[in-house]
Amino acid sequence: MGKSEVKGTVTSLSSMFPAEEVQKAAKMVEEKLSEKQNEMNQLKEFIADNTSLINLVQKLPDELHHDIMVPFGKAAFFPGRLIHTNEFLVLLGESYYTERTAKQTVEILKRRGKSLESKVDALKAVMQDLKAEASFFDSTASEAAEGLVEIREYEEDNSTERASQSGSLELETPSVAEADNKMGASEDDEYARIMSRLEELEKEELAAEDNEENLEDEDEDANAVESDGNEDELTKAAEGDGDEDELTKAAFHRKKDECYSYLDHGQRYSESQSRKQLQQFNGKEPIEEMSNKYKHQDLTKQFASTGLTGEPVTKGEISHGQIIQQDTQTLSPSINAFAPFEKKSVQTSKSEFDSSKAFTGSIVEHTQNLDKSSVGTNMTSLQSSGSQPWKPVSRFKMQRK
Amino acid sequence: MDSLRHEKIQKFEEFVDRRLKPDLVHAIAERDKIFDQQKIFSDLRKNIENLEKNSVTSLRTLVNLGSEVYMQAEVPDTQRIFVDVGLGFHVEFTWSEALKFISLREEKLERQIEEYTRLIASIKAQIKLVCEGIRELLQIPEEKTVEGRVF
Repeated sequence: MGKSEVKGTVTSLSSMFPAEEVQKAAKMVEEKLSEKQNEMNQLKEFIADNTSLINLVQKLPDELHHDIMVPFGKAAFFPGRLIHTNEFLVLLGESYYTERTAKQTVEILKRRGKSLESKVDALKAVMQDLKAEASFFDSTASEAAEGLVEIREYEEDNSTERASQSGSLELETPSVAEADNKMGASEDDEYARIMSRLEELEKEELAAEDNEENLEDEDEDANAVESDGNEDELTKAAEGDGDEDELTKAAFHRKKDECYSYLDHGQRYSESQSRKQLQQFNGKEPIEEMSNKYKHQDLTKQFASTGLTGEPVTKGEISHGQIIQQDTQTLSPSINAFAPFEKKSVQTSKSEFDSSKAFTGSIVEHTQNLDKSSVGTNMTSLQSSGSQPWKPVSRFKMQRK
Repeated sequence: MDSLRHEKIQKFEEFVDRRLKPDLVHAIAERDKIFDQQKIFSDLRKNIENLEKNSVTSLRTLVNLGSEVYMQAEVPDTQRIFVDVGLGFHVEFTWSEALKFISLREEKLERQIEEYTRLIASIKAQIKLVCEGIRELLQIPEEKTVEGRVF
């Protein structure tokens, strides 16, 4: 397949994360955590007060008058009675008061209670994050103390590029990002390969146009039919509308049928898939025109509406992410979103977690490269970190025969 | 010799920071509390005097039920007033009795304030003393106090 030139680095964790700094960081996080805890307690007190007040307000109108001790300043009382027991003066803030009945007051208080509770929930989420941070720091500190070492290897060929390391899983994400950074040298080679592959595919496409039978899978027909009907919708939908559902459905149908072939063929699938897509459009006459039109129109449209194509794809990806979780190996050769979806196929081994995290960066940036790649060969996928400047890096083996 | 001196200086500084300064902060906080109390009672006195002056017999107020939700309340007879005399007791007074009590109370509070003021002053003096000692140890020249002309 390809040469396997293995490069690698070995770094000690303690050099990357010095022990004292980690401890300092852990302390800071703990302090913040305790602050948040105090805030949380205060909020809970408010909520308790609010509920007791609601009870009181509900009970007061039961009587015409209530005998009470009326406070006079902070240190004196007058015996007196509460009158107009159904009239409450409620402070709305900014020195605005309103006279309300008991029922209305109860409603106001309930709304206040709800907002308090949402604040509590938000605070809880923040605290969770802080706790996770704290545990991360602790484990890192202990690991650094133990003298764990991070080993990174990657091949010149990018098919199995990944960072393997001995150490905690938590470091996986940053290390993957770092591995991505280090892949810069190999990216140019890949790019050249991609370009040559694209040219090959274009030639194939032209050849396939003459043939009527160019389907490799039986399901192709079904898919083509569906795509036939759906393409219009999809094109429109993807062009900045919010019909991610249609996009999703159409893509999903295709995916479902193709997923099994993916399982079998692995790398080859992506190749055949790209061909399929090209052929899908070209296999049927009505689609043919569309495909030609599509290539030109859509591309230009996509140029114009970079952000727009990004967005629906994003949303589509989200639902795809959900779908993916249900059917593990699904690909989505949707028209406008080849790159990010196909990226998923390779990254299935990395679990859905990465792809659902990764799409953000990939979507926004992939449209830049559309002029270079034709529709079906927009296989260039982006790294999972998403913080990369877009480069035509492909993790697929499609460019390799 | 030097190391001994440095040790002493450190000890003095620690003493200042750990004992004297927090003590000072404490004393000031207590004194502020008493100031607040004093203010409450003086307000009460003014109010009672107002009531007396205008011969107010009944009163309508808004009572805070909590969280700034108010309800109207009526005081039919303002002749009797219950004043907090401390330790959780409230005594029923007439106006004149109440005023007498309040003036007694205010005197007591003033004496307390004076005590606290003296305490604060002594703590400040101690801090200054220790600083001077440190200065001597370091042999930094004394700060010259600006002497005004005393007539």
